[in-house]
Amino acid sequence: MTAIKEFGKRIKELREAKKRDDPAFSLRRFGQAVDLSPTFLSKLENGEMSPPKAEKIEKMAELLGVDADELLALAGKVSPDLPKIIQKTPVAMAEFLRTANEEGLSEKEIQKLTEQIRKRKKV
Amino acid sequence: MTSIVKFIPRDKIEAEAVKTLCDYGRKYGDVVSPPVPAEEIIESLLGLTLGFDDLPEVLKTPGVLGATWVLDRKVLIDETLDPEVYPQKEGRFRFTVAHEIGHWQLHSHLYLTNEKQMKLFDMDDKPSIVCRAKDRKEPMEWQADVFAGYLLMPEEMIRKSWLEKYGMNEPYVAATEIGRLSTKLGLGEDNTPTVEIAREIAKDFKVSGQAMQIRLIGMGLIQVRDQGPSIFDGGVDDTN
Repeated sequence: MTAIKEFGKRIKELREAKKRDDPAFSLRRFGQAVDLSPTFLSKLENGEMSPPKAEKIEKMAELLGVDADELLALAGKVSPDLPKIIQKTPVAMAEFLRTANEEGLSEKEIQKLTEQIRKRKKV
Repeated sequence: MTSIVKFIPRDKIEAEAVKTLCDYGRKYGDVVSPPVPAEEIIESLLGLTLGFDDLPEVLKTPGVLGATWVLDRKVLIDETLDPEVYPQKEGRFRFTVAHEIGHWQLHSHLYLTNEKQMKLFDMDDKPSIVCRAKDRKEPMEWQADVFAGYLLMPEEMIRKSWLEKYGMNEPYVAATEIGRLSTKLGLGEDNTPTVEIAREIAKDFKVSGQAMQIRLIGMGLIQVRDQGPSIFDGGVDDTN
């Protein structure tokens, strides 16, 4: 399955699960909430349209109650705040990310490091 | 498929439409004022997937407005009726959705048993029911249209609106206005223009003025002739 299809399928799955209890998740009303026409949303869910802008994906994640980064990754995008973060300390941050990547850190290890950084800040 | 469709009298179709709206009300809150939430009924209550596509192109059939895939629990509406892109199509879009709800409530059982067997041999993705404006007179299409009218314009709600807009529980004799409009619009005798009160009430119900007028005539609230029915008049055409 292509990435575009994967993203649409996930949105459809999440929205359809919610709509049974809450009619606000109907195709049209959900589309209105994220400023997409029902036709576009319908085709997006069927993998016939490319994912919309990151801001809209973040709004979708918020309404569907999932992590925005998960949906952004499926859409092949990164959160718009990330490039800015890297640009703040471009050399150091890029090296930091590349090292983590080259060392082949697992998701667990990255989460552990994140925790350590958070704790360090509190001291 | 038409051969196995049984005749269903109007009052039974109306009862089915009223029941559908009551079921929705019980689960999601009573609907006491228009518009009737057609999309919410099809998506939340019935749990069907609603989508839009270029149906004449996808199905290689001209004039398709809606289609239902019974086994896949999916309804597609032609994208030229997308009410967010074409707000003027709101009434036709909602009527098409209500029409497909009608098929689901009245006819889906016919396919649930037959189609499972058919699928074993026929793996392509053809819809169970294809709806075109020109097929309106087919029994199954007629039944779905009648259902749609009752669902979107429930009697009680209409009577309430009528009293609010017209000011009294009396029918409106529309012969003069129809004559005036026909002349103004240059319409032929078999082409009835939509009177103002029908257009007014239609706005609240988010249906076309034409659909509302047919309903109001059916309920006896609009009378198109000022005398009693003439000997040439077979009564209101049942297929409308």
